[in-house]
Amino acid sequence: MNPYSGAQFFEFFAILARRFGQFFMGQAGGLAADELQLAVLVCSAIACGLLGPFLVLKRMSMFANSLSHTTLLGVVGAFLFASHWWGSGMTDLSTLLLGACISAGLTAGLIEVLSRVFRLAPDASIGLCFTTLFAIGVILVSLFTRDVHLSTEAVTGNCDALLSSDLRLAASIALLNAILISLFYRPFMLMSFDESYLRALGFSAPFWRFCLFFLTSLTVVASFRAVGVLVVLALLMGPYLTVRLFCHQLTRLVWLTPVCGVAIVVVSVALSRHILSASGVPLSTGGIVSLLTALTFLGGASVRVVMRRFA
Amino acid sequence: MDLWFHFTDPILRAPTIGSIFMCLAASLTGVILLFQRKLLISETISHAAYPGAIGGIFFLSMFGPEFERFSFVAVLMGAIVSSWLGLKSIRWLERKWKIHSDAALCFVLALFFGTGVLLASGLQQIQPLWAQQGHILLFGQAATLTDEHMLLYGLLSISCIAFIVVFFRPLQAILFDPVFAKSVGIRTRLVERIFFWLLLISIVTGIRSVGVILISGMLIAPAVAARQFSHQLKTVFWLAAIFGAVSGWSGAVLSAQYSLPTGPMIVLVSACFALVGLLASPKRGVLFRLTRLAKFRLRCMEENVLKGLWKKPMNGLELRRHYPSMLSFVLSRLVRHGWVIKTQNGEYHLTRDGHKKATAIVRLHRLWELYLTEQMGRDPKFVHASAEEMEHVLTPEIEAHLTKVLLDPQKDPHSQPIPGKVSV
Repeated sequence: MNPYSGAQFFEFFAILARRFGQFFMGQAGGLAADELQLAVLVCSAIACGLLGPFLVLKRMSMFANSLSHTTLLGVVGAFLFASHWWGSGMTDLSTLLLGACISAGLTAGLIEVLSRVFRLAPDASIGLCFTTLFAIGVILVSLFTRDVHLSTEAVTGNCDALLSSDLRLAASIALLNAILISLFYRPFMLMSFDESYLRALGFSAPFWRFCLFFLTSLTVVASFRAVGVLVVLALLMGPYLTVRLFCHQLTRLVWLTPVCGVAIVVVSVALSRHILSASGVPLSTGGIVSLLTALTFLGGASVRVVMRRFA
Repeated sequence: MDLWFHFTDPILRAPTIGSIFMCLAASLTGVILLFQRKLLISETISHAAYPGAIGGIFFLSMFGPEFERFSFVAVLMGAIVSSWLGLKSIRWLERKWKIHSDAALCFVLALFFGTGVLLASGLQQIQPLWAQQGHILLFGQAATLTDEHMLLYGLLSISCIAFIVVFFRPLQAILFDPVFAKSVGIRTRLVERIFFWLLLISIVTGIRSVGVILISGMLIAPAVAARQFSHQLKTVFWLAAIFGAVSGWSGAVLSAQYSLPTGPMIVLVSACFALVGLLASPKRGVLFRLTRLAKFRLRCMEENVLKGLWKKPMNGLELRRHYPSMLSFVLSRLVRHGWVIKTQNGEYHLTRDGHKKATAIVRLHRLWELYLTEQMGRDPKFVHASAEEMEHVLTPEIEAHLTKVLLDPQKDPHSQPIPGKVSV
């Protein structure tokens, strides 16, 4: 029995707080579906929020977008490989790593080849690369599964039917991102502002750029099944752009962005439950996250306008 | 398979002609975006069309099931409104909030498409019968196009084509030099505003057959392929139209044949065009550039061997010590040209023609060394390396000029004689 069924918006938080208490007393039992969803989304929000500032500063957001498309091919490739030779499923960590490697390598490599060897303009090479790879991915998926729904889900994800293994994955990616960003904060910061200074200090700029790209790829692939690439994109861009309206210091931005993302995600899960209770329509939580991200930015922007007028 | 059958059969006619028209409009618009270097905007606009399209279906579903055959009009209207909104919000983010276009594109894309997914999930629950209409918008479906679709989409594509034909001159001027265009009195604002609508319409038209997610590929790939084959705007437009139409048609046929999603098949066919263009187009293709490079390298090697033999005849062993790479191939070519002959004792000698050719190269080498020291003030010790490269690329015109500037010199900086001009 889900303790949240029938809960209204504010009731949701009350039940959440009570469950927290029970959890620490050891009486909670397993995670309820809503709690699992909340936990996975919070982990994704943290993972994305940490990367978002660097991606935007490095002007790699359309790169991230192309990753979100090519991931499909990486995942299909990894899945085929894993099910043939390892006999393991998609949620396995090694399969996931393989998928991330395939998609990051393919995307970065192909874009590089198209712009260096074939001398295409950057926008043309990015566009050509991800549309082609995505088309191949979709065709492979529909060849092997003969199911249109899977390819739809590949884009939108399904964060309304999660497993506890998804939580393990999302948590480990969030932890990995947090550790790497805090350990190597300095090279990441220098890379996004002043690559020549980074080189002068003896770091390799392409290496760190690929690191950022690979971390993004890992995050996208990990969230692929659970929350969908779309939510990842929204969480990569939205919180950072909102926080940026008010704050211009990178250190603060890097920890405020995940906080903002987490806030958006918590409210969306509560809202999704509220709508389900009130009207009986289960909406896609991922869609609610994107809509709320948009609204958050609009809210932030209007606050900013008001602040300017009275400052 | 009878190809003409696809155009006359009452069931196959609409999918065939419809998807040809849709892809035609998209690929023509793509050419303009390619020259503006704004191809990625198509990706955002197409994703931004999704919530509107779903919203349109939602709106129509309230009137009852008898309106279902008009859902494509609702989709079109809704898609135009929401992609217009998307384009406006990109500009708002860029201008008002100083967000770089790259981030603004990605942000708008994610938010609009997410909202579309939200609406689609609602549609699935509230009007499950209509949800199929929303599903096919993701990856497109040509097989279910009817004659009504064909008429509407054909009309829209023809208006796109008409715009490009009518405004070709001003468009050309704006694409290559906006400042010039403005100064000669072309109303750039007007043309750009029309182009803005053209972009919306061509993308919104295409999503029925190619799908929201991949329609940007339809703008990108034919334009990239066409650009490889020509420098002329008019030819690029023609080629892109042909590539777009062919891939729209063959993608639709292939997808119906093997029951695969239509959009990816169409995009894959046009990506093949782009690949062929990138690899094999004359002048810009990679294969062509690589052969040209290889030919140049080979010529350098040949000329180096000739120069070595000019100084003294050598046997194979000595030659291999000086010119280790690909020696036997180079020598066989030189022999075939009649520039080098092999004597009884295994030594290689220059023929008369070969001697002339080698003299010319040595002359260029020494002229350049002298030029560097006398005119550029370089130390004679360091000019040899530069001359080793320049001797292969100096043209007869530059040679004549150098001779004039240096007053027909006889000695190079290392006091070696500069051989006189020979006619090869």
